[in-house]
Amino acid sequence: MAMRARQRIRAPRRGLTANKGDDFETNWADLSTSLKKIHTKDASNLSFEQLYRNSYNIVLMMRGEDLYERIKKLEQDWLDDEVKTRVTAAISSSLLLAKELAEVQDQANERREAGERFLAAMREAFEDHQLCMGMITDVLMYMDRVMSTDHRKPSIYAAAMALFRDHVLRSPIRSDAKTTVVDVLESTILFMIQLERSGQIIDRPLISHCVTMLEGLYETITEEESSKLYLTLFEPAFLDASKRFYQAEGRRLLETGDAATFCKVATDRLAEETERCMYTLASSTAPKIKEVLDRELIENNIAEVVNLEGTGVRQMLDNDRLDSLRSIYVLSARVDPKKSPLTTAVQKRIVEMGKEINAGAVELAQTPAEPKKPADKGEKAKKPAEKEKPVNQQTAAAIKWVDDILGLKKKFDNIWEDSFQSDHVMQSAITTSFSEFINSESRSSEYLSLFFDENLKKGIKGKTETEVDSLLDNGITLLRYVKDKDMFEAYYKKHLSRRLLMKRSVSMDAERQMISKMKLEVGNQFTQRLEAMFKDMTISEDLTASYKEHAKKTGDPNTKRIDLDINVLTSTMWPMEIMASATRDNVQLGCIYPKEVESVKQSFEQYYLGKHSGRKLSWQPTMGTADIRLEFPRSNGKIQRHELNVSTYAMVILLLFNDVPTGEFLTYTDIKERTRITDHDLIRNLQALAVAQKTRVLRKEPMSRDVKSTDKFFFNNDFQSPFLKVRIGVVSGSANKVESQDQRKETEKKMSEERGASIEAAIVRIMKQRKSLTHSKLMTEVLSQLSARFVPDVNMIKKRIESLIDREYLERVEEDPPTYGYVA
Amino acid sequence: MTTPEQDQEFVTLVSGDGYEFILPRSTACISKTLRMMFDPLSKFSEALTGRCVLENISGEVLEKVCEYLCYNEKNKDQVNVPDMEIPPELCLELLMAADYLDV
Repeated sequence: MAMRARQRIRAPRRGLTANKGDDFETNWADLSTSLKKIHTKDASNLSFEQLYRNSYNIVLMMRGEDLYERIKKLEQDWLDDEVKTRVTAAISSSLLLAKELAEVQDQANERREAGERFLAAMREAFEDHQLCMGMITDVLMYMDRVMSTDHRKPSIYAAAMALFRDHVLRSPIRSDAKTTVVDVLESTILFMIQLERSGQIIDRPLISHCVTMLEGLYETITEEESSKLYLTLFEPAFLDASKRFYQAEGRRLLETGDAATFCKVATDRLAEETERCMYTLASSTAPKIKEVLDRELIENNIAEVVNLEGTGVRQMLDNDRLDSLRSIYVLSARVDPKKSPLTTAVQKRIVEMGKEINAGAVELAQTPAEPKKPADKGEKAKKPAEKEKPVNQQTAAAIKWVDDILGLKKKFDNIWEDSFQSDHVMQSAITTSFSEFINSESRSSEYLSLFFDENLKKGIKGKTETEVDSLLDNGITLLRYVKDKDMFEAYYKKHLSRRLLMKRSVSMDAERQMISKMKLEVGNQFTQRLEAMFKDMTISEDLTASYKEHAKKTGDPNTKRIDLDINVLTSTMWPMEIMASATRDNVQLGCIYPKEVESVKQSFEQYYLGKHSGRKLSWQPTMGTADIRLEFPRSNGKIQRHELNVSTYAMVILLLFNDVPTGEFLTYTDIKERTRITDHDLIRNLQALAVAQKTRVLRKEPMSRDVKSTDKFFFNNDFQSPFLKVRIGVVSGSANKVESQDQRKETEKKMSEERGASIEAAIVRIMKQRKSLTHSKLMTEVLSQLSARFVPDVNMIKKRIESLIDREYLERVEEDPPTYGYVA
Repeated sequence: MTTPEQDQEFVTLVSGDGYEFILPRSTACISKTLRMMFDPLSKFSEALTGRCVLENISGEVLEKVCEYLCYNEKNKDQVNVPDMEIPPELCLELLMAADYLDV
């Protein structure tokens, strides 16, 4: 058994070589006929085993190489003779007009049909080739195994594909023509895509197949990924054609001149191209074609689109075209993370609208800004009623300004959230523009403060807490944009003090809320003084209460007649204007109070100084009010009683008339001498008492609007009023209004003094910490420290440094670079 | 002609001297040559009939081959499989068959 087996081992082998050794040609003849049959799709009668054995035998005969070459030759002949003819036959002349883009419709149709025929033929040829080669490769597997491993030849399949490439695709369509089949193929596919772009429906799967073919063929026999024919031939051509197409499209869209359409088309095109890459071309092309789109259609045109006259971003903003804005944002975001054209346009528009608001406010407030100097007695007193109106108008303008800005802000917030997808770059751009135009209006801080004033005085009446909250929040938002926060603080302080002292504020809660909001927004330092003002008010309340208690105990008879409510204010914390009048009064000897009042005053002074030693009280009659009861004896014998709420000065003046018999009068000079009230205040109070229509408690002779030093004043027994309680305001003094030019200058002067001090403080603080610092570094540090409050002027800082050096706080350490040292 | 189902399930191998072996398709397809031969996508007669005549393999060897194919199929997911018993006199012929069938 074993022996037999061993003998049999040799037998077949010998038999094989012996039988088939000279049989190569027979084997090959068999094989080649079979292969041809495969090509003609007549394989079902063939036995795989037989063919396989044929090739196996040939390889065993060491004729593998011959076989390989012969098969190549066979394939080449087949492709040349059969496939090529079939493919080229499908190329009709209309396809050769490849370079001319088909403009004429019928020609396009014709070309399209021809193209489809050609593509179909192409696809068929390739698919056949693929299938046959698959089968042939299977049959020749044994040869492949030996050849590609031992002889480092590409597999017969790859070789056959290369043959297809060279002998079908790269063959000239006619023997004399230069154009090759692949050129025609390329231009045809591009033409089809062109058709699709212009809205026609094309046979996508067909194109897709042809593209797959190109993807399946390689430039080199080693079949690297990057050498796909698709990548080397078609894709560049496609991208190039797309580029040209979108350049033209961009121009065309610009010519039609509608930004919204542009955005819509561009967005659609993007989706379309992505889809095309998914279904028709290779998905690897998608990012590339998008890049082309981004660059050609969007990037090159976006700036123009944004600025298109009549339909650009400006109009979109104006008309709240949120959709269009959104798409233009999305497009911009694709090409440029900064979205510069869009941001510039938006910023420009914001600033423009802001300027309009500024201009509107100025226009509304346009009054012949007459200086309100106390010296201009005649002019000032001439037409108080008319004068008051424009001032009110200015205030209204200020409030309207703030309201307008808030409206604008809201609009842009909306747009930002809705259309710009809450983009940070856009937000900062919007913020910058807002602060730009707000700060371009020099009175913004004043206006803003007036806005708060107005709201805290009346605006919040009858509103819920949340409404008040949002109102204040809105204001605070604007405050964020204001650069000169110290200016705002000064105004706010001034307005707040008026509100507090005149008890005009509607809700103390709202005031406190406001302060805490500001504290959050701007910082502790900012609200320090404002809080101190509130503290003064509460302390004063306690003080008044305890003083009344004290007065009761001591049994001072006067307290029965006069109730005293006192506000003791810390002079450094309250606005300068109020305190300034204190110094003036000192020089002029304070006003002479009637003896009833004087005694109360002294009693309080005693009480207060007894409690706090070393303090100085100065009285501020300008800020005070008094409630007095008046009896008007009528001619018919009845007595009409009225309760009047008047300013302290008016009270003093009215009390003078207690000593004047009926029918007698006091002249202006009399009153002035007896009270020592300054001209400015006296005139104002007399106007309120004697000139204003509804509150004519005094009668003046002659009846005119001006108050002259020779005027005579009578007590008006015929005073009429429907109310028991009458409030007599002092002409232009109590309400918070826009400042006149002179007041502004004054405020600005004070502001710059205060800023100087702040700058010096900052410099010293920094230098104390650093000991020595270069000039430029010191500058940046000072700027950054102070930026929360205001934007310091560089020249001012320089001056302050100089002055500190003069006063030997600092010294120059080095000249180059200039460096300062701190002198302890 | 076989029905497609049979075509799916089993294939028939015929040795040069006329022995027939019926194997599950999956088992036969361990051999690359056989796999291509029976690939339903190729249009050769073997694929259509599910029957293949291997002329240069004797029944004795083909039996061993089939035994190996089944053995391989059975143990394909296991490790430390003991070697299959091979009679030494068949060694060379089996090697040639293995080369031919590409297993």
